[in-house]
Amino acid sequence: MPTSTPTPVEAGALDLARAIVTSSPVPLLLLDGDLCIVAASASFSEAFSVDTKSAPGQPLASLGGGGEWGLPKIRSLLTATLSGAADIKAYECELVRAGQPTRCLVLSAQRVAYLDLAHTRVLLAVADITEARANELLKDEAQRRNLVLLQEVRHRVANSLQIIASVLLQNARKTTSEETRGHLTDAHQRVMSVATLERQLSGSGEQDVELQAYLTTLCESISASMIQDPKHLVLSVTGSRGEVPAVVSISLGLIATELIINALKHAFVDGRPGAIKVSWTSEGSNWTMSVTDNGVGMPRAAGARAGLGTSIVEALAKQLGAAINVSSAAPGTCVAITHPAIRLVSRPEQPSDFSVVERPAA
Amino acid sequence: MPSPIPAAQKTLLIVEDEILPAMALRDELQDAGYVVMDLTKRHGEAIGAAKDCKPDLALVNIKLQGQDTGIDIARDLKAMGIPVVFISGQVSRAQTARTDAIASFPKPYSTKQMAAAVGYLLARLAGDTSLERPDGLEVFEDELEASAAAAV
Repeated sequence: MPTSTPTPVEAGALDLARAIVTSSPVPLLLLDGDLCIVAASASFSEAFSVDTKSAPGQPLASLGGGGEWGLPKIRSLLTATLSGAADIKAYECELVRAGQPTRCLVLSAQRVAYLDLAHTRVLLAVADITEARANELLKDEAQRRNLVLLQEVRHRVANSLQIIASVLLQNARKTTSEETRGHLTDAHQRVMSVATLERQLSGSGEQDVELQAYLTTLCESISASMIQDPKHLVLSVTGSRGEVPAVVSISLGLIATELIINALKHAFVDGRPGAIKVSWTSEGSNWTMSVTDNGVGMPRAAGARAGLGTSIVEALAKQLGAAINVSSAAPGTCVAITHPAIRLVSRPEQPSDFSVVERPAA
Repeated sequence: MPSPIPAAQKTLLIVEDEILPAMALRDELQDAGYVVMDLTKRHGEAIGAAKDCKPDLALVNIKLQGQDTGIDIARDLKAMGIPVVFISGQVSRAQTARTDAIASFPKPYSTKQMAAAVGYLLARLAGDTSLERPDGLEVFEDELEASAAAAV
């Protein structure tokens, strides 16, 4: 303990420091160079059930009576801080006391030197994070349970959709009208496209969907139900990897379904062989999904293809804030759905089949 | 998907507790030329039916009502020498039970996809490897080959 008498300035500073420490709402100790207590906050006394009134002048190790504050770990932390060898902002340790539950503490020690180096002191802030830790664990557990529930719900939604799809399919088989059969088969495929997505989501637990994987599964299902000979009419998916939110992918899946159904119905009328290519490219939040066929091409008359499928595509594209661009793929037709979230002014020309699409008026 | 050509009236057993998808599947498979046994959804029913008329392949859903699971049924059918394909959305459970079945086709399936898968599996069981594996069908090769060897 330094023996020199403090100057009036030093004494004044020390009084101020004592007053601040004592009133701190965060458990706080001011220790001298011998790790004896200079001041302790009332909050410290309350948090760790120790009497701090008589504490000043006592060694830290004697606090609490059980020697719990005299841990070698704490002592070496403080000694290192005092010597200036360490600057520790958050040091985690356990406070073990007889007859009481162990607390999890975070200590931060700060060396305080004022004018005379002989009076170096250390300020020790103690945060009790036991409850916060326990809450974190509870939160993790709740989150995990929610995820399991969500997956179960999605699983059931997919099953229910499969039931509805089966009914539509049975309906299609039993009807004698060729036109009705066509409508029911389309309806079946629309339900299946949503069911496929729910199934993919139920397996991952994610909110986002790897779109290309989804489109691939979707096209397998469409190909199996609607294409007689997949060697004669090839349905394929190309493009980049990229995730989109589940709600967006439902719309994109339905749009792709409609465009494929449309191409199957109109592009290969005379039984000609051909290919339908579904492409997905994304760059940040900008993306383009296109369906290109090499069939007979677009009819000249506008609105010649307007039907339920077209209105579904238009409505969903509008909902997504995306633009539809229909162009000739020579031979065949390309329909591109583009979502330009951010317009890139100096964007290099993309090697794509379709022309630049204007952003729709909101 | 190549249309499967059923050889000499193969018989199929469907174990599925959702009656509507089961009916849709049955009709599709019948149209493809298979004999489909009466639909079953319980362990006892399925095993009893399988004893009476040895099916060539059983299509089993994993999640069934009550205490039954398709995995238990698959195990018992396998013991009777009847190969099983799981038809279930519970892909991970199907994979953990890969020694009890020869393949797994996840829901939601289109009935045409399933018919193609059945055609492929029956061909493989008969030692015919010329067909292309249908999209979406996961084959448990070790079990399939063991079943094919047992059938020959």
